Amino acid sequence: MESQSNEINENGCYVALTHEHLRVQETIDRVRSPQAGAIVLFAGTTRDNFAGKPVKELQYSAYNSMALKTMLSICKGVLARHGLNSVAMIHRLGTVPIGEESILIAVSAPHRQAAWRAGEEALEECKKHVEVWKREEFEGEEGVWRANRDGAPGQIMEKEAGH
Amino acid sequence: MGAVPKPPKGHFNVLYFASASSFTSREYDTLPAPLPINKLFDTLEERHNGIKDKILSSCLVTVNLNYVDIPDNNNNTNNQDGVESGLVIQESDEVAIIPPVSSG
Repeated sequence: MESQSNEINENGCYVALTHEHLRVQETIDRVRSPQAGAIVLFAGTTRDNFAGKPVKELQYSAYNSMALKTMLSICKGVLARHGLNSVAMIHRLGTVPIGEESILIAVSAPHRQAAWRAGEEALEECKKHVEVWKREEFEGEEGVWRANRDGAPGQIMEKEAGH
Repeated sequence: MGAVPKPPKGHFNVLYFASASSFTSREYDTLPAPLPINKLFDTLEERHNGIKDKILSSCLVTVNLNYVDIPDNNNNTNNQDGVESGLVIQESDEVAIIPPVSSG
């Protein structure tokens, strides 16, 4: 297996996975460009409830090599489709406490319309495809693995018999 | 997950994530190669009873960082001499079970 890399920087696209706190200013600075008239930043943060049920914390895990590959592909796609100057997408892994950022997406573009649209598109693509999984820990209950695709509460998976 | 060891000769690893990992209580299994892709789910079912129904039915599969189709039982494509066509997993391939993602 090839060595674990946690970031890729290619042709104006920067993607990374990290267990550290995400850094907003650094991410904005990554996409800053003299040719850009707009930078849009999205920060996804841990909310304290899911459908009214109090959430204690979120834990994120990833298939690192696939997640990076998919993130890069998404970034390249939005860069090309929206004529962006630069894109950065960083996903945090491990425990993310309430209120903290789990993902940052920054895009820069010559004009603001493309930046708004590209930022949204990049996030929606990420939520559909990037190989990262979120486990919600509730107070006093077993945690559940979420699935973005149905927007429904995660299923508690029974352990197979005998385990 | 921590670093997964290289599989022994004649074998490949299947990586488990999220609900697949919780269900099996494992991060990976090591299986003998070669294995036709359409036998993968049955092979995993032998090791982890109920996994096909409870987990695999909603999962995607990657081989060496590429998504692959898993033909279902009704969709065999047999060529002339009765051998099923389709991907065959080779030794040291990296296979992964990908449950529905929840990124962002």
